[in-house]
Amino acid sequence: MTHHTPPPALAGELRRLTVLELSRGARAGYVCLLLAASAMTAVVGGLLLTEPSLPPRTSIALAVMVAIGLSWVCFAAWVLTRRRILLGKDRVVAGRMAVAFNSLFVAGCVLAAAITGAASAFAAMALGLVMLGVAGGLWIRARRQFEHLTARRQQLERELARG
Amino acid sequence: MTSPPPHDTGDELLAVRCQLGEAAAFDDLIERWHGPLWTYIRRVVGDEDAALEVVQDVWIKVLRGIPKLRDGSKLRAWLFGIARRTVMDRLRERYAGPLETEIDLSEVAADTWPSHDEHELQQLEGALARLPAVERDVLTLFYLEDLTLADIGEALKVPVGTVKSRLFRARRMLREAMNAGGAQP
Repeated sequence: MTHHTPPPALAGELRRLTVLELSRGARAGYVCLLLAASAMTAVVGGLLLTEPSLPPRTSIALAVMVAIGLSWVCFAAWVLTRRRILLGKDRVVAGRMAVAFNSLFVAGCVLAAAITGAASAFAAMALGLVMLGVAGGLWIRARRQFEHLTARRQQLERELARG
Repeated sequence: MTSPPPHDTGDELLAVRCQLGEAAAFDDLIERWHGPLWTYIRRVVGDEDAALEVVQDVWIKVLRGIPKLRDGSKLRAWLFGIARRTVMDRLRERYAGPLETEIDLSEVAADTWPSHDEHELQQLEGALARLPAVERDVLTLFYLEDLTLADIGEALKVPVGTVKSRLFRARRMLREAMNAGGAQP
């Protein structure tokens, strides 16, 4: 049976597609969007939870902002898992970014709580600590997976070298 | 063009390198697999323009799905599984109706491709092109892409027994198509 020869331009087209799909900038952008949306949601959510005396209109506005923030969080998470996938190295970098970003956020909340003593600052700090825990967990998991893949790669290379 | 052997250590290494995020690994993946996948897709789809669209869809799914590939040693079956599902999505309207029949499965496993004569090969090509896509699909995977029964089962997400029954039916239909065309399969 004859094989169908691929069109000469196909391999080049697929490489171009790969570069577009795995564009570092686009994926880093979605990681930043995820982190920023999470922080905004934590701050506004903290304010909403700790200020019962807010006028109804303000409460509604804050609730809408929380909903918008959560939507962005979900959207960025969906894109990063389905469209702009994160590979081994990317996940470690994203995990590190998340830990650094959330640490800064928690530090800011601590400072705000110390200066103002506002309940909303404490609430945002609590949410920030939760997010920091999640980020730390994801970072550790990403590092373990990266180490596992690296070890497997070295093992396979040794097997191939032995023939 | 020759397909790599099944369960190649090199395939698993390639999958692991891609999962680690090594850019050159994706070039190697394309270099190694775009030919066999193209041959399979082109043969099952039949039309070159449609095959070009399908092959790009397949590669997008491969790129997006490779972090979730748990066992890199099954890269071959995984790639053909994606290709097959994408092709089936495209040809779904041609896949209505029940497929499986009760048959003697022992007849299937030892089969080899029946002819190496150039004239008969051309007739086989013609007969194969006239088969329904399911039968063309399984014959292509087994005889042309050298997937094992287990790999085909993995790719099609069906038990090995079902693969055997489809192969059996496909061979019978091919034989009938060849007979109708005046040649012996």
